[in-house]
Formats: sequence, C-alpha cells, structure tokens
Amino acid sequence: MKTVKVTLNVNNEKVKLQVKPYETLLETLRERLSLTGAKEACSLGSCGSCTVLVNGTPMRSCLILTPEVDGASITTIEGLREGDRLHPLQEAFMEKGAVQCGFCTSGMIMTAKGLLDRNKKPTKAEIIKTISSNICRCTGYKKIVEAVEEASKKII
Amino acid sequence: MILPSFEYKKAQTIDEALELYKKYNGEAFYLAGGTDLIPLLKHRLFNPKAVIDLKGIEELKTIKRKRGNLLVGPNVTLYELKENPEVKENLPCLFESLNATSCETLQMRGTIGGNIMQNTRCLQYNKSLEWRTARGFCYKMGGKTCNVVLNARSCFSNYCGDNAPALMTVDSKVRLAGPQGERTLKLEKLFSGDGKDPFNIKPGEFITEITIPLKETKGAYEKLAVRGSIDYPLVGVAVTVMDEVAKVGVTGIGPSPRLYEIEKINKKEIDKIAGKAYEDAKPVVNAVLTPAYRKKMVGVLIRRVFARIEKGGSR
Repeated sequence: MKTVKVTLNVNNEKVKLQVKPYETLLETLRERLSLTGAKEACSLGSCGSCTVLVNGTPMRSCLILTPEVDGASITTIEGLREGDRLHPLQEAFMEKGAVQCGFCTSGMIMTAKGLLDRNKKPTKAEIIKTISSNICRCTGYKKIVEAVEEASKKII
Repeated sequence: MILPSFEYKKAQTIDEALELYKKYNGEAFYLAGGTDLIPLLKHRLFNPKAVIDLKGIEELKTIKRKRGNLLVGPNVTLYELKENPEVKENLPCLFESLNATSCETLQMRGTIGGNIMQNTRCLQYNKSLEWRTARGFCYKMGGKTCNVVLNARSCFSNYCGDNAPALMTVDSKVRLAGPQGERTLKLEKLFSGDGKDPFNIKPGEFITEITIPLKETKGAYEKLAVRGSIDYPLVGVAVTVMDEVAKVGVTGIGPSPRLYEIEKINKKEIDKIAGKAYEDAKPVVNAVLTPAYRKKMVGVLIRRVFARIEKGGSR
C-alpha cells in the first residue's frame, strides 16, 4: 500500500507523518499523535464530537482525510491552553458544570471556539445555533450555552 | 468506522482531474467537502480505487458577478455562499435553504456542488455493509428487489438536498466538464428521476460552475425535519417570486426535486399547485416519518411558504 507524506502543524508543533491515503484526520490525531481529546462517536459527521479547528475553522475530523489537510494548522482541545492557564471556554465549562459524561465536551468547546473567534460577543440565539452543530445526550444544552456566554464575557 | 482502502489524488486543474479519472478507468470518485461521500464510503456503498480531491482547483472556489449573473464555483462552501451579500440581498429563498442545511460546522465544510450532487437516501440504503448483507441488497446496491416496496420496479430513494430546489426556482444552470467535453444544462435537467442512478451525468463529469441569474426576488424555504439542526428534509419547499411569477421547488420525496410554476399568484392558483404537488408526491416507508404525513405536509408547506412571502418573509 502506498502511503502519503503529510506535514501538519498540530497545536503549534510541526509534525511530519506518513499516513494511509484513506486515513481520517481523527484517526491520525488519536492513533498516531495520541491526542485523544477529539472523540469518535457516530463517525458519520452527525454528532460533532470529533470537531477540531482546521486553519481556524471548526470541522468534523472524522470526515476529513489526513492527506486533504496536508500543510494545514490543526488545533485540538489539547492545544487550547496557554501555558498553565486553561482557555476561558474550558474554565467556563468547569465553572458552570457544563459537563456530564464529557464525551461531547471537546467537540462543543472547539465548535464554540470557532464561534468566539469570528464573533466575540455572540447573542444567546447565535450560541444556540452554533452549538446545535453538536449533539449532547446528557445536559440538555442549558449549561453548555451558559458556559459559552460566560466565556464570551471573559474574552476581550 | 474505518474507511475502505483507496488511493488519494489531488488535482490542481480540471484537466488533471479528468486525466486522473481516465487513469483509474472510471473507478474513482470526485471529492469536494466529503460530508456526503465519506459516510457513503464508510458504509461500503462504494469501493473506488481512488478518490480525486477537487479542492486544489482554484477556479472552482470563486464567486463572481458577470452580466447580471452570479457565477458560483462548485467548491464554494455552503457557509461562504450563505454569507455572500448578493445571496443575502437578492436571493432570500436560497439564503434560507442554505441556512437550513445541516448545521453551521458542516456548512463550513460542505460545498454547493457537492450538495447538489448529494446521493439519494433511503432508510434501507444508508446502512452498514453488515446490515445490508443481512437484509439483502436492493436495486440501488445492485440487487434485484426493492426492500421497501414489495415487487416495485424502480427505486424510491429520496433526494434530500436542500439547495437544488431553491436554485431551480431562480432558473440556475450548471456547467459540467467531462472526458467528452463541456456542456451546460438547466439545473432541473441534471436529475434523472431514477433513484438508482439519480443524476443525468456521464461517467467522469463534474460540475464546474453554477450560474444564478441575479434579479431582485422574494422567496422563502420551509423544511419538515425531525430535528432543527443536522437533519435532511423529509419534505422541503422552496418558493421564489420573480416578476409576479412564482416558482415552487419540492424536495425530500422521491428521487428528484420537482419544479412547478404559478403565473398569476392568487389563492386559487396556490391551492391548485399545492394540490398538484400533493398528488405528485409518492412517499413510501423509507424515511423517519410516515408517508401519509409527509405527503400531506407538501401542500401545507407550499401554503405556508406563500403566506410567509406575503408577510415579507417573517415567520
């Protein structure tokens, strides 16, 4: 089998890899780079638990072939913290108790990060619209929406 | 879910993509956003030797205004097209259908060309290989029966694209490139009406441009779905009113979207078209709501869209 050489910038670290041509970005992150924050749930793009940022845009990593994003910058939940400080979204999710089983959380936070990057002060309706990209089967979304609202206040 | 093995090729030009298609003797799939294709491959509904990525082709990514038309590259994402000021201002029906497509994250990945070319769906078709093997293959998988309608002679899978009907109501055209050259056709001519093979395209052809006439229009899109987000239309109705003529596109029931025209908009004509669309809709037990309900909702949604347009688009 022919492999494909790719260079990725994952969480500000350049990595050179040889991957299968039919390997998804999610598989590369989890199985080659041990970045298990992005989760596999539906594997069909419906649930959003595998969401990561590709060149700043939130995307389902289960639907992306790694060779497609050769040269791209990837940010996963592991790359959000700055030094010892967690990202305001991560702090707000803890403070507001927006986590129950936690499986959807990294996808939720990465999707919310995409929203706050393009719109620093989203309305509640905008938060709900964006967050509806992701499925949570525990919380009923109320605390997740509150957490994103809280984080948007902290981000200047 | 693991993908089947295939080779990955990235084309930089249209010609290169066609060359690659020939090189693999047609056993290749074109890839744009992948939001439709990758799940189909994961379910082993297709097993191509190669996937040809079209995202490297710059000319397929642009939106241009030329001689009163909006020329949209098929690789423009649904989100980019939705955010385009011309679409927001002049094409309210298309704006609403784009906005109703799946969710924001998938709109940022899915492309307008890929959305038009979305394969038809059926509860018995979009399943894993194991599930389908146990059930037995249907027409669309190369079998000899329909697993939904006993003794049916054709495939009843549903075309679930949100945006093709909206584009049809504004007289859009698509340009195709293929091994035998280029051709342009009205968008509605792209659909074959056969669920097994839903598009009138020759092997190796792909969309290279979508032409949307830019006129001031009124319009709206209504969709019946179980969830407010990340869901296919179980019925979708797109209406555009241009120069007092209304065009109505119906999607979500049957293998191709249908187009109707009302020359003089009044209650009687709207009821007539709603009745005609109701009669034409032949839903079967292959989606998550009952056929009777979906059929009834065709007429309901048509009347609802017209009522909204009369109120200036508001709900």
